[in-house]
Amino acid sequence: MATAPYNYSYIFKYIIIGDMGVGKSCLLHQFTEKKFMADCPHTIGVEFGTRIIEVSGQKIKLQIWDTAGQERFRAVTRSYYRGAAGALMVYDITRRSTYNHLSSWLTDARNLTNPNTVIILIGNKADLDAQRDVTYEEAKQFAEENGLLFLEASAKTGENVEDAFLEAAKKIYQNIQDGSLDLNAAESGVQHKPSAPQGGRLTSEPQPQREGCGC
Amino acid sequence: MDQSVAIQETLMQGEYCVIAVQGVLCEGDSRQSRLLGLVRHRLEHGGQEHALFLYTHRRMAITGDDVTLDQIVPVSRDFTLEEVSSDGELYILGSDVTIQLDTVELSLTFQLPFGSHTRMFLQEVARACPGFDPATPDPEFQWLSGYQCLQREPDSRTLHGWNLARDTWPGYTTIGGGGSNFDNSRSNGKSLLGDQSSGGQDKAENSLTRQNKSKSEITDLVRSSTITVSDKAHILSMQKFGLRDTIVKSHLVQKEDDYTYIQNFRFFVGTYNVNGQSPKECLRPWLSHGIQAPDVYCVGFQELDLSKEAFFFHDTPKEEEWFKAVSESLHPDAKYAKVKLIRMVGIMLLLYVKQEHAAYISEVETETVGTGIMGRMGNKGGVAIRFQLHNTSICIVNSHLAAHTEEYERRNQDYKDICSRMQFCQVDPSLPALTISKHDVILWLGDLNYRIEDLDVEKVKKLVEEKDFQTLYAYDQLKIQVAAKTVFDGYTEGELTFQPTYKYDTGSDDWDTSEKCRAPAWCDRILWKGKNIIQLSYQSHMALKTSDHKPVSSEFDIGVKVINDELYRKTLEEIVRSLDKMENANIPSVSLSKREFCFQNVKYMQLQVDSFTIHNGQVPCQFEFINKPDEQSFCKQWLSANPSKGFLLPDSNAKIELELFVNKTTATKLNSGEDKIEDILVLHLDRGKDYFLSVTGNYLPSCFGSPIHTLCYMRQPIVDLPLETISELTLMPMQTEDDGSQLESPMEIPKELWMMVDYLYRNAIQQEDLFQQPGLRSEFEHIRDCLDTGMIDNLSASNHSVAEALLLFLESLPEPVICYRAYHSCLECTGNYTASKQVISTLPTFHKNVFNYLMAFLQELLKNSTKNHLDGNILASIFGSLLLRNPAGHEKLEMTDKKKAQEFIHQFLCNTL
Repeated sequence: MATAPYNYSYIFKYIIIGDMGVGKSCLLHQFTEKKFMADCPHTIGVEFGTRIIEVSGQKIKLQIWDTAGQERFRAVTRSYYRGAAGALMVYDITRRSTYNHLSSWLTDARNLTNPNTVIILIGNKADLDAQRDVTYEEAKQFAEENGLLFLEASAKTGENVEDAFLEAAKKIYQNIQDGSLDLNAAESGVQHKPSAPQGGRLTSEPQPQREGCGC
Repeated sequence: MDQSVAIQETLMQGEYCVIAVQGVLCEGDSRQSRLLGLVRHRLEHGGQEHALFLYTHRRMAITGDDVTLDQIVPVSRDFTLEEVSSDGELYILGSDVTIQLDTVELSLTFQLPFGSHTRMFLQEVARACPGFDPATPDPEFQWLSGYQCLQREPDSRTLHGWNLARDTWPGYTTIGGGGSNFDNSRSNGKSLLGDQSSGGQDKAENSLTRQNKSKSEITDLVRSSTITVSDKAHILSMQKFGLRDTIVKSHLVQKEDDYTYIQNFRFFVGTYNVNGQSPKECLRPWLSHGIQAPDVYCVGFQELDLSKEAFFFHDTPKEEEWFKAVSESLHPDAKYAKVKLIRMVGIMLLLYVKQEHAAYISEVETETVGTGIMGRMGNKGGVAIRFQLHNTSICIVNSHLAAHTEEYERRNQDYKDICSRMQFCQVDPSLPALTISKHDVILWLGDLNYRIEDLDVEKVKKLVEEKDFQTLYAYDQLKIQVAAKTVFDGYTEGELTFQPTYKYDTGSDDWDTSEKCRAPAWCDRILWKGKNIIQLSYQSHMALKTSDHKPVSSEFDIGVKVINDELYRKTLEEIVRSLDKMENANIPSVSLSKREFCFQNVKYMQLQVDSFTIHNGQVPCQFEFINKPDEQSFCKQWLSANPSKGFLLPDSNAKIELELFVNKTTATKLNSGEDKIEDILVLHLDRGKDYFLSVTGNYLPSCFGSPIHTLCYMRQPIVDLPLETISELTLMPMQTEDDGSQLESPMEIPKELWMMVDYLYRNAIQQEDLFQQPGLRSEFEHIRDCLDTGMIDNLSASNHSVAEALLLFLESLPEPVICYRAYHSCLECTGNYTASKQVISTLPTFHKNVFNYLMAFLQELLKNSTKNHLDGNILASIFGSLLLRNPAGHEKLEMTDKKKAQEFIHQFLCNTL
């Protein structure tokens, strides 16, 4: 165990946005703690969570900012969008109004983040299919029209929660790999650890020191 | 071999080679050996600088003559030395460490030998890096100008190193004289060498104390880096590289059982005192007598070479001879890889593994401990190899203890010395050195030299002949000493079912026939300690006749902890996850006693206070109110929070007071509705959450802060008007007074002004010190309420309070009585009364009315100056600054302007209006 394979080489900043009560904090809690928080109080402010994930063999630390959804805090929460590498835009599939407000959230997200910020649309409360008020197809179409990733998830059952965070990370990582996301840009939302291997500098063949001893 | 000694000889006084390592410089396809020395220079004014000296060298560098300075790389702020792990490749345990050296000027790649020494080297270099503390000055490296590097061919890769970089160092221009410096240092080196021949012992001790010192330094490092559980999460969140690894590693060790299973490995352990002989016969009867090919061979020799040369120069051709002999006699059914060979004078230990196991051998370290002459020399003592096979740590010790029957206590002491002085460096230099006892499995072999006591030679020989080893064993010193717990405590030895292995006439199986006629003894032994070890055989090999000893062998099945990759990954994931959780749990978090603050019926200049308590959780935290985007302060002007920042220990409280106070600056916009008692404060925790606090409330508009013309249009008390009307009237432009479009005709002056002036005219015309004594705050609030509700009849207050209220009223006017735009013309025509009157006549009607009304009132006051002691100058100075206000603000008011304003008012007090 001579090298340090456990450390992360990137930090991605995420924000979670969307109407009050759509389950933003519960998604975060489910993702970081693998637990459903039944009586989650309204977030009045901004909360944090971190978790280290792995994408294409790279350890990535997600730093997730969960914002208050109440309209009256909107002006303040906007200031947290800056420098986000990923945005999770959440609505509640059982409340149409939360879906209707998406365009306003999207406008904020587009205006306040950089063009490379990956936005993923999440229809939360997928476990409550009986009370569904927004069809999958409709949201899917909205996502496609606006170039968003899309998933329906349930913070309660955990369904797709992991994927939601991972899909966004994969897309961000892909943007880094193909060069469309400039890590040096001040607001890329990605920090790269300089001490991590850059890769490809040396073609180091495994060279065991021991010489074989033919007998 | 510590090659820093050789480097040290090339250095000037005051410079010290901290540590050296031999590595391979990789440039393209070329591979050249370099000696890398980390050199420290102490600065006169304190502090130190470091540089990496790269030397070419011949053979194993022993003295300064063996090395030639090639390049110097100063350890500057931009210096980095990092381990490069091959991306995507599986890390092969035990392979060379590739490191990348970068500075602004150059980039070099080295391969360093795997092991703890390299670790220590990298650690030392990391410690030498100056860091980025702006408080410390940039290193200057003046001292480097005294060194001259190897001249490179002109066409060589001049991009590298000193040749380019030196231009940037001050002092380089004097390097012409540097050559002689260099020579000096060389001659120093030579004289050192001269000393050495006469005092070699000194030198050995020096290097010894250095070694000891570096070890104690390591221990200090360990102490200082002790991490307590509660600190851990903080450290995690600090994103400091490496610390997380340390924690993960220690968790992995704790949970080892979760992801390892036991697999047996066949170990062959052999020991042979060869009495200085060269191999003359095939060793297979000893090494390959079993049917099954062992997985691991541990083969130890003693008295490999008894010559003086071996003793003094540590060099012997026998090493190669015996190594070859052993290698050729290993079990034919398997291919073996040599892991390590370690030798101290005549004591040699060889470790081989089957080739397929090579990849699972790691952390191979060797050490030697001499206990011979002076208790230090290598003619007696022990050598050891420690390594990790899969996940089990194993230590093999080969020792040759003191001779002679009566010296058993000396042997016990040798054993103890070996145990205490045998210290292996760890891969992670921050960990304390490993001792023999810290291993899962210990195999101890050697010529332990314990004899058979209290029996005469003939008796011994007779018992051997009868194969009554049990009786004989009762007289074995080792057995007796182990039973007395004076040596090899906790070790096990198999039953001795073979005859003593010492001492024979060389080339025969006959007991010693020499003059000394030594009694037979079981000198050559194999012991073990640890779990999951089963001895399969323990025997001597009479067939070998090269030496006066017979070789001994033992085979073991040893249960080794093997990693289940899948379970390992799972455990690792769990640990990383638990660290994530811990990190999340240690994000500072507080609870607030209140997050919504409602201030009801806020009045002009009436303080309202509310408070809340921050209760901290278990993580110490720093809190602070932070600005919202595009705002200059964290809250509106009429609000303040005290304290606005602070530090909280776990489980402690802080009380924050929110104070709301509307003054002239903020009143007008609250009257007009442009501003509301509404705000959101962001309480930020350092490294943690943000909390939003909502402030709401309502403001009761007041005549204070309302414009003159607005008040003139308010025929009713301001509290009786709908808020929309107030807002509308407040926002009404000033110059609309004469257009006649208003529904209600305005009053000539604000009724509130009239109320105050009238009150003073009736009650205070003879009041001494009017406008000079302060009023009472409580009375002001009463006066304000009377004015705003129109209940003038209820007004009962001291004259001074009403007088002050009048001044506050004038001060609170958003547009002064003499409008801002007229300010400069007023000052210009000061001294010219006609012109001054002309300026006044240009004011908006309501302002003009107010001005004339006030002047008339002041003139009335002056008529009573005998009683009230007022004079024109006093009144002019008081009212001058209220009626005539500099549009640029009070701060910019110069004395001359102030005087002019005073004179301007004074004209109206002493002339007829």
